[in-house]
Amino acid sequence: MRDRPSGFGNPWLQLVLSVMCVLVSELLLKRGATETADPASEWSWTGINSLASPLVWWAIILIIISFISWLYVLRYIPLTIAFPLSRVVDILVPLGCWFFLGEAISARRWCGIALVIIGLAVTAKPVARLEERL
Amino acid sequence: MTLLSLVLILLALVTFVGGQLILKRAMESTVAHGLRQSKFIALLGCGIFLMTISFFLTLGLLQRFDLSYLYPFQGLSVIIISVMAAIMLKEKLTWQLTIGSLLISAGIVLVSMS
Repeated sequence: MRDRPSGFGNPWLQLVLSVMCVLVSELLLKRGATETADPASEWSWTGINSLASPLVWWAIILIIISFISWLYVLRYIPLTIAFPLSRVVDILVPLGCWFFLGEAISARRWCGIALVIIGLAVTAKPVARLEERL
Repeated sequence: MTLLSLVLILLALVTFVGGQLILKRAMESTVAHGLRQSKFIALLGCGIFLMTISFFLTLGLLQRFDLSYLYPFQGLSVIIISVMAAIMLKEKLTWQLTIGSLLISAGIVLVSMS
């Protein structure tokens, strides 16, 4: 891994920022898309009519921010490491619903969350070793 | 699920994976040559184009299907992207990264199916 800036320019910090923006945007998109669902419309398969929802526009702004920080991440971190780590968002959504909204998590879903956490640890371990050496 | 929706789901997945690989290549080109070069702009444009197609296809699919139905397909993108990055971008895919990606993919599929 090549030399990289510290502070706000730290690619790992940018990876976290990117994940957080994706997390919020996913929730906004689902609400916006449901709100504007119109199966009768000829163009509904393109999803274009969801642009009528302001929630979708907020989500788009967050997606643009996460996209820019993601591009920055890609400049410094290999895709084989950055992309798997970025999918931490897929367990943060159910965990967030459980923690903040009191939604139940099934046994099967807990197993999935555990698998993802183990996978993240396995992926992040060689990275930690790499970082130490620098 | 109709044949059309399966095609749309696969198309959303393929455009997403392709977009990520092209964006990675675009950003790699900036390390040596900076941001003001035609190769970077062309690759960035291609990547954004593919991601946009994937975005609208996903929005359209979300109108018809539950997120829990569509998400397992996105979970598969982890292992697909890792393998494709190794093949197309010549990134080093160690056995540790392979196992990590497989576990994350399997975990996402489990999380989203329940």
